[in-house]
Amino acid sequence: MTDQTTKIECQNLSKIFKQRSGKVQIPVLESISLSVVENEFLVIVGPGQCGKTTLLRIIAGLETPTTGKVFLDGKEVTGPGPDRGMVFQKYTLFPWKTVMGNVEMGLKIGGMSKRQRREVASHYINLVGLQGFEKAYPHQLSGGMKQRVGIARAYANNPKVLLLDEPFGQLDAQTRYLMEQETARIWSVEKKTVIFVTNSIEEAVYLADRIVTLEGKLPGRLKSTYVVNLPRPREHIDKEFLEMRHTITKETELLL
Amino acid sequence: MKTTMGHTVSVHAASHGNGKGTAAHIGKVVKNRYVLYFVSIVSLLVIWHFSAVIGESSKYMPTPAMVLTELWRIAHENLAGKNLLGHLWSSMHRVLIGFAIGSLVGVPLGLFMALNRYLNALVKPIFDLFKPMPPISWISLAILWFGIGEESKVFIIAIGAFVPALINSYNGIRLVDPALYDAIRMLGANRWQTMIEVTFPAGFPALFAGLQIALSVAWSCVLAAELVSARSGMGFLIILGMTMSNPAMILSGMVVIAITAYLITVVLSNVEKWVCPWKVELPQ
Amino acid sequence: MNSETKLKDPLSLKIAPWVSVIGFFVVWQLLIDTEIVPRILLASPVEVGKLLIDKLTNPDPDGAVLMTHTIISLIEALLGYILALITGIPLGLLMGWFVVAEGLARPPFEMIRPIPPVAWIPLAIFWFGIGITGKVFIIWACAVVPCVINAYTGVRMANPTLIQMARTYGASDWQIFTKICIPSALPMVFGGLQIALALAWTTLVAAELIAADAGLGYLITMGRRLLRPDMIVLGMIMVGLTGWFIGNIIDRIERRLTAGLERGGAAT
Ligand SMILES: Nc1ncnc2c1ncn2[C@@H]1O[C@H](COP(=O)(O)OP(=O)(O)OP(=O)(O)O)[C@@H](O)[C@H]1O
Ligand SMILES: [Mg+2]
Repeated sequence: MTDQTTKIECQNLSKIFKQRSGKVQIPVLESISLSVVENEFLVIVGPGQCGKTTLLRIIAGLETPTTGKVFLDGKEVTGPGPDRGMVFQKYTLFPWKTVMGNVEMGLKIGGMSKRQRREVASHYINLVGLQGFEKAYPHQLSGGMKQRVGIARAYANNPKVLLLDEPFGQLDAQTRYLMEQETARIWSVEKKTVIFVTNSIEEAVYLADRIVTLEGKLPGRLKSTYVVNLPRPREHIDKEFLEMRHTITKETELLL
Repeated sequence: MKTTMGHTVSVHAASHGNGKGTAAHIGKVVKNRYVLYFVSIVSLLVIWHFSAVIGESSKYMPTPAMVLTELWRIAHENLAGKNLLGHLWSSMHRVLIGFAIGSLVGVPLGLFMALNRYLNALVKPIFDLFKPMPPISWISLAILWFGIGEESKVFIIAIGAFVPALINSYNGIRLVDPALYDAIRMLGANRWQTMIEVTFPAGFPALFAGLQIALSVAWSCVLAAELVSARSGMGFLIILGMTMSNPAMILSGMVVIAITAYLITVVLSNVEKWVCPWKVELPQ
Repeated sequence: MNSETKLKDPLSLKIAPWVSVIGFFVVWQLLIDTEIVPRILLASPVEVGKLLIDKLTNPDPDGAVLMTHTIISLIEALLGYILALITGIPLGLLMGWFVVAEGLARPPFEMIRPIPPVAWIPLAIFWFGIGITGKVFIIWACAVVPCVINAYTGVRMANPTLIQMARTYGASDWQIFTKICIPSALPMVFGGLQIALALAWTTLVAAELIAADAGLGYLITMGRRLLRPDMIVLGMIMVGLTGWFIGNIIDRIERRLTAGLERGGAAT
């Protein structure tokens, strides 16, 4: 963390979902304040159904907070935009587009010429290791490959901030491990400000510069922050790694 | 059924005594799908033939051979000024015009209804009033309005095609996975780009399925309309067979109708593979 | 477009359907009253309503009161439909599980499958005349197709893991068929019942339009012969209403049965 300019700033966010014309109110998030600096890899850890997706969607601008504000580079976020890239929990690729079509979609929308965007998209397809699959449709890909496309699609649009919502939650353990390695590698090749949501403490310690934990019951509140200063690339069996993981696990279990 | 049994038994008898291995082998042959298909078709034809030649029944039930001869005859002879191909084309011609009108009105209306809540609130109730009426029930009004010429038939077909075209394009657009809208908006799309890049392509398979249904409904409608009143077309041909007490003519007409309907489905499902290559095929 | 904004529709959106339906009938009535559309081409809603009340008790000019026409149509449709169910569903179920049943039944089935239902009408009339037998045959021929297809597909989609498990426990083919395949096919079968009913009703109306001496389709045809647009429209409305009504009943029955099925399934 050399650069200390603040990229994302969340001020006192809360979210209450209203259902059936407001008769039922579900408080999902409460007083979340958080800031992320440039090129930082922030991981948000929390158990299932604690508002992780909701928090990320608020930062993305897909959901409006009930109270509080989100700033990106000092400007208030009012809606979704290409300055943030999102990788969704459920792959959410465009099924009628090939891998190439999916990855270049953001550039197409941005108005880039066909030749240029092919070039950029190819670069990112190679970066995520999908060369040779440019012409495949999403239904022909495995889960891990689909999520690589999702990552390439978000990266290719060159957003200021990358938001990843449990991107590997639906993968088997083997693929998940591989994808974590890949993510760390891609991030080291092309630095970005990243907010990564997960329910796996191991995944968090492997990837993060900084970890924040969310409380395990609704409404979700921020609990603790851990700075992970381990050298990269990391090994799951290093002594420090295991210690870090152990500490967080113990404290998280306490607050569940 | 008798012939089926006979066939199976003879297979057993012919290769009996070659030990256990062959018995299992025969079991496999008997359970082989294609062998069974063959047995089924042959026995069907045999039963059909013999049930038709018993006593007086050929007055009501022609033999398969008679149907084939009749098919050959109507393919060459003119009936009411046209041979078989001519009648087939008359029907097709009506189908194409009616289908074109029905889907050119139905698809855009369905799209606009899905995209605009106010238009939907105005049009949907009226559409729902008309929906349960079978298209063919319009025939009497159509004849009153347009006479017994081409227009009344085209009208029935257009109504028949209109309903599935509208319903499917409407549902196709409405049932687009909202997550796809999130994805495209995150990439910076404005309303117009969202429509072009997500709404239409995501709704397209359902829309196309609607057109497929519309075309097969149109094919049914043209027959129904021609059965009620016509001087040409496949429906006219089979009703002519009925009035002339010529069952072979009815059946040969039905054969042509079935083959045409079958070809329409095959062609359309190939077109679908070509225009929606991303669509996952359901395992049958 | 998040969840909150969608909750309340503006008032204008709530009254729009009523405006539209009332407007439709008013415009229809006005078109006739002002003679923009001549009376020989279309009857006004009021005239249709009058005829409806009259036809409840008056058998003239077509020979029967409205209820009789409706009941005749219903009986014809339901008889053919029930015959189709009791032949088509067992056949489809057997075809889905037993190779021999499929091998023998499939070719003839594939031959009649592409025949549009209305194309059976001339043959049926030629064989059985314009009475009830012919109608029942037509309805059977068209309704049996979706019954077979759906029962067959339902069995084909039965969970293979479940079947495999039953096999390892030593269940016989027949046991697997009755205990696993049939229950798991039921939802598909019900789907088929709906399709078959809609098809049966439409086809029956077509058959009655072409040749009949009673029934709602006959009422429509008589309306044309007697140049009585009010009778045509009344017939059409009755056809639509009855079709909608029996569709709803089947829907109800289906929901009750599948709900029971799910409860039963959860208990075991
Ligand atoms: N649009 C919505 N309307 C009503 N309630 C919602 C909505 N979205 C989320 N919720 C509720 O908010 C709570 C938190 O949901 P969220 O998806 O943010 O959790 P999560 O931590 O991402 O869960 P998971 O680990 O399963 O992904 C859930 O109880 C959910 O029911
Ligand atoms: Mg989530």
